[in-house]
Amino acid sequence: MSWFIGVDVGGTFTDFHCLNERTGEAFVHKAPSTPDNPARAIVEGVRTVADRLGIGFADIHRLAHGTTVATNALIQRKGGKVALVTTKGFRDLLEIGRQVRPHMYSLQEDHPEPLVPRHWRFEVDERMTADGTAERTLDGKDVARAAEAIRTAKVDSVAVGFLFSFLNPEHERRAADALAAALPGVHVSRSSEVQPEFREYERFSTTVLNAYLQPVLARYLADLGDQVGRLSGTIEIGINQSAGGLMSIGRAHRFPVRTALSGPAAGAVGAIHVAKLSSRPNVVTLDMGGTSADVALIRDYRTDTAHDRQVGGFPVRLPMIDINTIGAGGGSIAWFAPDGLLKVGPTSAGAVPGPACYGQGGTEATVTDANLVLGRLSPRGLLDGEVALDAAAARRAIQPVAERLGFTVERTAHGILAIVVANMVRAIRTVSVERGHDPRSYALMPFGGAGPLHATDVARSLGMREILVPPAPGILCAQGLVVSDLKEDFVRTRRTRLAAADAPAMARVIGDLAEEARRWLDAEGIAADDRETLLALDMRYVGQNFELPVRLPTAALPDAMTLARLFAATHEQSYGYANLEAPIEVINFRLTARARRAETTPPPPATPPTAPPAPVGRRAVHFRWEAADDTSVYRRDALKPGHRLTGPMVVEQLDATTLLYPGDRMTVDAAGSLVIEAAP
Amino acid sequence: MTDPITLEIIHNGLRSITDESFIALMKSAYSTNIKERRDHSCAVIDLKGRLIAQAENSLPIHLASMWGLMTAVLAKVPVDDMSEGDIFVANDPHVAGGTHLPDLNMAMPVFVDGSVMAFACNIAHHADMGGMAPGSMAGGMREIYQEGLRIPVVRLFRRGELVTDIFDLLLLNVRVPDERKGDYFAQVAACRLGERRLKEMAARYGRTVLLDAFDEIITRTRQRMERAIGTIPPGIYRFADRMDDDGLGTIDIPIVIEITVGNGRIRADFTGSAPEVDGNINLKLNGSGATVAYAIKALLDPDVPNNQGVLDVVDVTAPEGTVVNCAPPAAVAARAHVCQRIVDCVIGALAPAIPGLAVAAANGANTTAVLSGIDPATRQRYVYLETLGGGFGGRATKDGKDGVQVHITNTSNLPVEAIEMEYPLRVESYGLIEDSGGAGKYRGGLGLRRVVRPVGHDTVFSGTGERFRFAPWGLFGGEDGVPGRFQRREPDGSLTALDNKPAEVTLRPDQAVVMETPGAGGYGDPAERAADLIARDGQSGKFSADYLCRAYPSASK
Repeated sequence: MSWFIGVDVGGTFTDFHCLNERTGEAFVHKAPSTPDNPARAIVEGVRTVADRLGIGFADIHRLAHGTTVATNALIQRKGGKVALVTTKGFRDLLEIGRQVRPHMYSLQEDHPEPLVPRHWRFEVDERMTADGTAERTLDGKDVARAAEAIRTAKVDSVAVGFLFSFLNPEHERRAADALAAALPGVHVSRSSEVQPEFREYERFSTTVLNAYLQPVLARYLADLGDQVGRLSGTIEIGINQSAGGLMSIGRAHRFPVRTALSGPAAGAVGAIHVAKLSSRPNVVTLDMGGTSADVALIRDYRTDTAHDRQVGGFPVRLPMIDINTIGAGGGSIAWFAPDGLLKVGPTSAGAVPGPACYGQGGTEATVTDANLVLGRLSPRGLLDGEVALDAAAARRAIQPVAERLGFTVERTAHGILAIVVANMVRAIRTVSVERGHDPRSYALMPFGGAGPLHATDVARSLGMREILVPPAPGILCAQGLVVSDLKEDFVRTRRTRLAAADAPAMARVIGDLAEEARRWLDAEGIAADDRETLLALDMRYVGQNFELPVRLPTAALPDAMTLARLFAATHEQSYGYANLEAPIEVINFRLTARARRAETTPPPPATPPTAPPAPVGRRAVHFRWEAADDTSVYRRDALKPGHRLTGPMVVEQLDATTLLYPGDRMTVDAAGSLVIEAAP
Repeated sequence: MTDPITLEIIHNGLRSITDESFIALMKSAYSTNIKERRDHSCAVIDLKGRLIAQAENSLPIHLASMWGLMTAVLAKVPVDDMSEGDIFVANDPHVAGGTHLPDLNMAMPVFVDGSVMAFACNIAHHADMGGMAPGSMAGGMREIYQEGLRIPVVRLFRRGELVTDIFDLLLLNVRVPDERKGDYFAQVAACRLGERRLKEMAARYGRTVLLDAFDEIITRTRQRMERAIGTIPPGIYRFADRMDDDGLGTIDIPIVIEITVGNGRIRADFTGSAPEVDGNINLKLNGSGATVAYAIKALLDPDVPNNQGVLDVVDVTAPEGTVVNCAPPAAVAARAHVCQRIVDCVIGALAPAIPGLAVAAANGANTTAVLSGIDPATRQRYVYLETLGGGFGGRATKDGKDGVQVHITNTSNLPVEAIEMEYPLRVESYGLIEDSGGAGKYRGGLGLRRVVRPVGHDTVFSGTGERFRFAPWGLFGGEDGVPGRFQRREPDGSLTALDNKPAEVTLRPDQAVVMETPGAGGYGDPAERAADLIARDGQSGKFSADYLCRAYPSASK
């Protein structure tokens, strides 16, 4: 009963990271994904893993699963049919949104049409006000009429969104109950449950997305639960959520929208774990895959939380790990803009047809093709030669670009890489300025298949001195899943002036949240010793229209003076100033409850190996476009803690390649991560 | 000549500089206009005053101010007289290249190898610039002197030192000087960030390479625009439209344009447009030029980078003393309304030449509503301001979007829950206006209706409407959209018409204001509208059966 398995399902591969919680033993595995039914690859993979480890299914305690089923359903618009029941006078609100266009200068681009067509949006007479009292009580007959119309419409789900339901959910609850009773088999999502926060459009949009995803996720999770249940009845399934951390299959069933942005979250959790093992509290992560690169900032082993994101063109308001995504990946395509400048991405060759060198019909020059032409990627191919790479095809793809530029293929390939690096550098700079940090005081942690290949270039451009390459950069997300906690976020919006010092009222709100959290912890069966709760308040100066989350040091509410000081410090950090006299108000109270895991501690220093590692070969690598350097190639598993080497060199492993420029110095630390000091 | 790869990397670096400065400014500013509405902009400008790079989401009108400011700075101060650490500040439309007073412009020379290489510039809309009314945007004034503090080009910093005499003068003339001080320093910080990054770039590439790259970036953008303009058949295109009124008694204000297309250039002549008006909708010529450039870019190539190359293909002429080229001391605060009409005129003129790219007239307004009163709970004065979107025009391949901001404005609405938490007001409804879009092969978008009443006190409503009399026109046989209107709902439910630019209308708790913004024109002959689209118009309830019968008689049989 001591094995945890993290399973991350990607478009091409399903990754497994297995950890024996008792002994610390770890095992990784990678298998092709089965997009028609992702559960198949999972169950097959678990069989393989158990077989290789020589364990029974009963030895598996938990399966932590990151899924893109919801994300894909959204992007491909394959969710359920949804009706909306809302406050009288506001059925168009979902359609109007924030009344803005997606592109200032385009006369043709629109935001996508709402997921609920207008004739399935039903108004009912009711009205709550800003103090949480009912100005008009809910008209039950209106609800009954809506239920009847919805029955005729034959939808899969109903979303219920009323104004001010975050303050008083009574009307929403009554309507949702009545609809659920009248419409058996139809999923019901209500906004006061999905995300009880103020700003109606974002709340309704999130609720509608939840309703849209419910039928799809319900089917998938039921199937997965069945199949895993047949392996062993005691395997707990945890589903990864966008805020990092896992939820039970039951919660995922009710709140599928929380999985829609969970993809990169596991990577960030994994990165924090690796950072702790290597004692690097401040890290910029660069997770570069085939299509995109995700950038996140880790400070004191913590990521920031963001609340507003877009998925498939729709706003989602939910707590999520603050990650920025840009269109820069191995498959990013090089092209000429109308002004003749060379661009790379955001269009990607994806997994199919993939870069030209994959030999699956791709003809356009991609970043991977450029890496291959320059000798940075092994001509032997990826995954230990399992995916062969065709260098001639890569060259053929780059040739026309080179001809247009009047450059050699090598110079062109070098240029393609310089541009994709510049795009990532720009993203990291923007994120850093936005958060008020200087990237030079951070270490860069590259992961994903393509991250370690470009890390030294990125770090040098940003003036970052140190790079930390995790032991298994290609499956860091699966590793993150294994080390994720069971976690749940609770929120209440109660606008409260700090100066009025309504301490008892604030304490009551926090008491309510704590009670809600206790019920959840009980329901999940988490032992008293393992429980942890964290409190944060979203605060702002009176008159501002946005809030800043302020983390509180303890689970108890500090006095108003302390709160004001904490807010000022956060404001100063984020915006460069704080106003000590201006009145402050609290908008949201947030409580995070989780099952605490054992602390991650760095391993003791290892005794340096007696002999240096032996290279497995040498090849010509173009660090400059003008000429190639004869470069040693090492296998990653030959590099042991304590080894020290100086570039130029290439380090290869199953699903990632790390590149060191001449003069870059590398040490393997006790945790097995590569610590690279970039030569200036 | 710089190669296309190095050029892309330098260009990327320049945009990164403007983006970083843009965020830095937004993060440290005080004014909600800047923080929430992003009514600010950052740019890199070269020694000749040419715009090299501008943050991506900059408002079109800011192109004009950047351009105007640098022209004014260079006209007043020779580059040789500038010192490292100087920062120039200005806002005046009549003498310093601005477009209205709340937009405060800054420029900082960046010294490389002992002389100026470029300027780090920015613009931010301050919440107040003094003058008769808080916010410095109110109507009812006839001269710019009433609108706020006029700042010619002056040094706010000299050799890195704050010129406190000037700063004291600036701050004394604005309301809530402490907050405005914060806005000034946010702009200074953004200038200095831009300066630092430009110097880093110069250290990497060298001054000569960067100056060459500046030329090359502008040239390539200009050539890209010229090629796009080359797709328009050469010729002379004319259009005329009218503004409803200026709010001070002048009505039917014509905007007339004659566009000559040829040799990759656009020449726009506004001769025949109305003389400048008493009201505050007058525009300076650089604003008219930037607006024409916006329309050309939006029509032909929305993704073209914002730099001088876009402005350079457009020549604009207009007689001085007209509403599109006003002379001192014309009032200018609400110049955006004329900008919207200029966009319609450019599109209307070119529509026959580029029917696939043109769109029917959108709601063409920045419908503005202000409710102010004393909150009975706190006894504090409140001012609630909102700008409302409306219909977007029908297009060659699809309907116009319903209820959205159009053309030169793209600001968001305030959530109903935010309004009611903040102000003693009740929003009774917020939705699309049925039947307000013009019929067409592709119909125009619907206008918005918002009904608001005060709770437990009297409130005062003022508003600005345009296209309340002259409907947004349809194109190629498409029908006009329905104009907007303001009404007051009386206790008995009847509706009283209000002016198009009502000033200080009192509302009691048993009354409400009904704001209706214009719909938009349709595109193409309604007879060609596909049956499934008509069916959807009916099913969605966006159009009544009566409307559909009338507009599409053959389909409804």
